[in-house]
Amino acid sequence: MNRTETVTRPLLEVEDLTVGFGGFEAVRGVSFYVQPGEILGIVGESGSGKSVTCRAVMGLLPGTARAGGGVRLEGRDLLTLGDADWCALRGRDIGMIFQNPASHLDPLRRIGRQIAAPIVRHLGIGRREAMRRAIRLLDDVGIRDPERSARSYPHEFSGGMKQRAMIAAAIGCGPKLLIADEPTTALDVTVQARILRLLKDLNRERGLAIILISHDLGVVADICSRVVVMRNGEVVEQGPIDDVINRPRHPYTRLLVDSQPSRRGYPGVKAEPLPAAPLLSVEGLSVSFPVRRSLVSDRAGKAGPFLALDGIDLQIAAGETVGIVGESGSGKSTLARTIIRQNRPSGGTIRLDGREVHGLTGDALMAFRRRVQMVFQNPYDSLNPRMTIAEAVAEPIWRHGLADRRTAQVRADELLEMVELPRSLRNRKPRQLSGGQCQRVGLARALALEPQVLIADEITSALDVTTQAQILELLLRLQRERALTLLYISHDLSVVSSICQRVYVFKAGRIVEDGPARQVLSIPRHSYTQELVASLAQLGPKNAASALTPVFNNAAR
Amino acid sequence: MAHLRLIARRLMQLTGVLLGISIVTFLLLHMAPGDPARLLAGERASAETIAAIRMQYGLDLPLWRQFITYLANLLAGDIGQSLRFQRPVSELIQQFMWPTLFLTVYVVCLAVPPTVALSILSARNPGGTADQIVRLVGIAGLTIPVFWLGIMMSRFFGVSLGWFPVSGYGVGFTGHLHHLFLPALSTAIWLVPVLTQSLRAALIEKAMADFVTAARAQGASEREIFWRTILPNSVLPTLNLLGVMVAFMIGGAVIVETVYAVPGLGTLMIGALLGRDYYVVQGLTLVFAMSTVLVTLAVDLLAAFIDPRVRA
Repeated sequence: MNRTETVTRPLLEVEDLTVGFGGFEAVRGVSFYVQPGEILGIVGESGSGKSVTCRAVMGLLPGTARAGGGVRLEGRDLLTLGDADWCALRGRDIGMIFQNPASHLDPLRRIGRQIAAPIVRHLGIGRREAMRRAIRLLDDVGIRDPERSARSYPHEFSGGMKQRAMIAAAIGCGPKLLIADEPTTALDVTVQARILRLLKDLNRERGLAIILISHDLGVVADICSRVVVMRNGEVVEQGPIDDVINRPRHPYTRLLVDSQPSRRGYPGVKAEPLPAAPLLSVEGLSVSFPVRRSLVSDRAGKAGPFLALDGIDLQIAAGETVGIVGESGSGKSTLARTIIRQNRPSGGTIRLDGREVHGLTGDALMAFRRRVQMVFQNPYDSLNPRMTIAEAVAEPIWRHGLADRRTAQVRADELLEMVELPRSLRNRKPRQLSGGQCQRVGLARALALEPQVLIADEITSALDVTTQAQILELLLRLQRERALTLLYISHDLSVVSSICQRVYVFKAGRIVEDGPARQVLSIPRHSYTQELVASLAQLGPKNAASALTPVFNNAAR
Repeated sequence: MAHLRLIARRLMQLTGVLLGISIVTFLLLHMAPGDPARLLAGERASAETIAAIRMQYGLDLPLWRQFITYLANLLAGDIGQSLRFQRPVSELIQQFMWPTLFLTVYVVCLAVPPTVALSILSARNPGGTADQIVRLVGIAGLTIPVFWLGIMMSRFFGVSLGWFPVSGYGVGFTGHLHHLFLPALSTAIWLVPVLTQSLRAALIEKAMADFVTAARAQGASEREIFWRTILPNSVLPTLNLLGVMVAFMIGGAVIVETVYAVPGLGTLMIGALLGRDYYVVQGLTLVFAMSTVLVTLAVDLLAAFIDPRVRA
């Protein structure tokens, strides 16, 4: 341990905690402790029991759950508390913030009142004084113009501001411990970096102990002093962050560390070969969406169409892997959708092999659809829930008349094998599969038409890191084997820079920077790119000990 | 401020709707079978008399001229003359409107408190005994026809027990309350289950919402969470449904008003339809459409008052 042993007892002790739902034990024998004023990270994939553990600490488990073992806050046993005691403790001694700030704020109440409510409740302070404190808290968590913001409703706040408001509400009564359950997962990277900095500042200035739950080791490594690694409801490893990351003892921890995009070197990323004529070229592309009009605001004269893309120029050569990075709302998905003709451009052209994409009709259009395929962000939503996965993969083949239905089925089986899905899954429906498996089906379906260009729109952002690493590995293998041209869209700069040859950085519908991936990442020129690079929560440079280790043989999990 | 802007915006949208309504009601009359001039003149009138009547009522003008006249009269508050009563339609409607409005408000007052109570009882433990009983009783209330229930209740409470009058509107506020109790009750018995279904579903859904977990994590008691968070977030769908129902009741109180002989718009409508009193039918259609629009507007404004997202 690098912290000096103190005689003070830990703030929170969790001892041999077990949580069961019916016959299923979601958490088994979990023990850890939190010292006053420290930041403890809990990492694990979805389903590892990290959220359930923290909800047990908060007494927020659903009625069907049974909790056993011991949870002590400053020596006081929490699991035996009655309802009234819990109400007195929650929000007073332990605060909590959640993954999706948008759904955790009451949409009908003003922000200020929501922050003031726990203060009135726990500290017995009048409404007026509580509101004054709420405004000060909003200022403390870095919200501009706190007085006006206090009168706002949640829907008038951005995602980052909502999370700040949640934090303000959670720390209003000066709790000793803050539980942050994936607080930045739903936010953009730059916003994530700011929220993490805020948590760190609160920890330092107020001596607030924090439990930070995340699936992202990079986030945890950024601000935590110790880390607990969970898997399948058990703690597999815990210790100071440096030890766990640089000298992982458990194979799963090693897998987790190696799955970080910044730690992985993907083979096949060469310097740019750029042949003369680009395969796909986009010139001066603009896409606008009509803004919902209202009679009154039109008079004010500020309305007008919203430009989702504003004069985009980009070229992609055959066989190249090009990345597109940007925050949500920057227009990256609009570009992808416009290339596959789901949106109409309001200006500019898209050419594939010199032919204008939006002018195609009839057979030429069908041929275009075969040549350009797309994989989507949400693996569940993009597959028909009533079709088995083999049917879903076979459908494009017979629909395009490339084979009759029976041959298409045979082809589909081959494709499923190619994306490393076991044969036994072929008759499953999408919801019977894991997210990673579903995304493999999405890939197989896109490849069924043997496309030349594959557009991957945030295909790993809904997946755990280890699954993400497997999918990326698969994607790159397929790209190599089939000489695919890949347009990879992501908000995650580290993924893009590790697999792409060139990147374009999008902001508010424009390209602010482009160039070879390594160069953009190492010497960003535009201030926005610099901010993006700076906000990357990553494990830092790879040290010699943890070179690529072949732990990726359980690929299709 | 946001409220005022919203009201202004909605009122402006209303003009288009009202114009549409006036066109439809105007055409409705012209598409109806039968010739009003012939009706006025009587069975044995000569062709000259009919032509004279046509001229007098402007029925010989081209359709668009008739419409302009109709619209101009409408704006002046003149919606024609009843052929049967020989009185202005607007006067007739004013006279028959109050019982119907009183009845509607009465039904709402009788229906809302039990709806809230039953929904809470149901949603507290979905699938539990209380929930099952509420559901069964609700289905029974929905399936019993209003006219049958009306007749039975007037026989039992009115004739056998003599507690309530079985017909009429009464005199004075308490008299109205007394006379309209049975009609209001028989409508409410059918309305409560409909509203309860909707509110119960919303309560169960919102009880699982993330912001409820967040409120719990901030130390709110279950009681506070229910009244301050779950209930306000659940009422909107039911409020909208209630709006539709109220609009429906203003126009569709025919059965109840007939059974209990309430001198309301439904009774007037039946009489006008049977007597081919075209201008009264037209006026009533206009009033029903307008009341639907106004009720919807009121519900929208109320919704905006509750939910800030509607205001934007």
